[in-house]
Amino acid sequence: MNALLSRSWIRALIGLIAPGLFLIWWQMQAQAGGAHALAFAPLQSVGAAFVELAVRGSLFPDMASTLSRSLSGLAIGGTLGIALGVAMAIWRPLDRVLNPLLQAIRQVPLMGWLPLLGLWVGTGQGTELIVVSLSAFFPTLLNSFEGVAGVERRFVEVGQIYGFTPLQRFRLILLPAAMPLILTGLTQGLAFAWIASIASEILLGVGGGLGVTMQLAQMQQRIDIILVAILVTAALGFTINRLFLRLRQHLLRWQAPLR
Amino acid sequence: MIHEVLARPAPAGAPAASGALAIRDLHKSFTIGGAPRTVLEGINLDIRPGEFVSIVGASGCGKSTLLRLIVGLDDDYRGEIRLDGERVSTTSLDRGIVFQDHRLFPWMTLEQNIELALLNTDVPKARRAQIVAEHIALVNLTGFEKAYPHQLSGGMAQRAAIARALVTEPKLLLLDEPLGALDALTRVRVQNELQRIWMTQRSTMLMVTHDVEEALYLGDRVVVMAPDPGRIRRIVEVDLPHPRDRAAPLLHRLKDEILAELTAAPSAPSNLVHLPGREVR
Repeated sequence: MNALLSRSWIRALIGLIAPGLFLIWWQMQAQAGGAHALAFAPLQSVGAAFVELAVRGSLFPDMASTLSRSLSGLAIGGTLGIALGVAMAIWRPLDRVLNPLLQAIRQVPLMGWLPLLGLWVGTGQGTELIVVSLSAFFPTLLNSFEGVAGVERRFVEVGQIYGFTPLQRFRLILLPAAMPLILTGLTQGLAFAWIASIASEILLGVGGGLGVTMQLAQMQQRIDIILVAILVTAALGFTINRLFLRLRQHLLRWQAPLR
Repeated sequence: MIHEVLARPAPAGAPAASGALAIRDLHKSFTIGGAPRTVLEGINLDIRPGEFVSIVGASGCGKSTLLRLIVGLDDDYRGEIRLDGERVSTTSLDRGIVFQDHRLFPWMTLEQNIELALLNTDVPKARRAQIVAEHIALVNLTGFEKAYPHQLSGGMAQRAAIARALVTEPKLLLLDEPLGALDALTRVRVQNELQRIWMTQRSTMLMVTHDVEEALYLGDRVVVMAPDPGRIRRIVEVDLPHPRDRAAPLLHRLKDEILAELTAAPSAPSNLVHLPGREVR
């Protein structure tokens, strides 16, 4: 059984069982008629909507703008999060000054900032990017802080023995030792940025994106288009997450495998 | 018996001129729960250049603390520690250390781990790779240059740590139970290797261990410490040339003698006098 499970295509096939059953259930609901038919578009019309969106519609530009919004937000929020988290862990007075404020800000759900940001910078793409960056910022900040603060003393002592300069200590000990948690922070930041992109697109409806299309389709009662947007969102999110995990595995190849 | 330590011919190219350690009236205490607690008291010890000295003693007798003071990771002590006349207050590339846990950086390959020791030396960059390769060969790890620490066995990682400590050619090498975590067979092999390395490099070595046999097999002298507070109980000369035969009767006699002393009731007065040739049981 384990030998069977280790075949990668068999594992992929097993992973498809649940989505397959779900689609069958969906199709049965769609064909049941009555009130159901409105909420459950049959798969063939979802397929047709997909083709329509892909060929003549905004599907690819939407994917591109949601993706670029998420990744720009991750780049901005992630960079700031790593920089501040590392700085707070190395220089503890900074932590004591900023920690209460940051913890308090973190308690406000992301979308709670929209009314305020709307007044400050308007309800345009700038606000969307700020929300996405903020959502990537916090998980990166917290994990980077924990990563650097938790570096084992025994490794720092080795640096002392060999006369490391502060820069060498940072580059050769603190940063690599904290890397697993920094990457965990970035992975979480990516997931949050992706969610925040879709959510802010739905709420603000500007600049294009999968969320914008979902919102327009809802107004036009095009359940098939909503479903296409949801499916594409799921597939795209799944793919970039997978790619990110690959990258993480490559960067942390020095770690012992878990099994 | 003659002092083999002095009679040995100096090997070619080995820097044997310095590495004399002098410890005078060393006193160290920690504050535990608000109350000061003395861990080392009245330590006096002189180590000759090129000598191998072992320290044995029950756990908690301050052996590892002593090494941390000598290597310079802790400068909060009373008394004096001098290497070639210079007072120890911080770490220096003159003093190397091998810890019980190998402390290789898991994110670097074996090669990178050893090369980092040379970062702040004046060894020209072009020579470093070669020196690293030589030291990897010295500890018999050629072929594992690109391996990460998690891919090495415990014995291999510990040998790599020894290579890292030797690559800077420290005048004094401190070994803090370097073989404590190894299984019995690997331990004997690395002991032999350590002896061979010491005979070729000829730097001063000071090794803490809880294994009396190991202490006697490698040491020119064995310092026996007593706990609470940590102090030197006595110093045993081991007048045998290197490389040594593990079966040498003298080693076994001394082992029984030291073990008897270490396991005796702490209050009982010691009636043992240092006489290397003396029959105890």
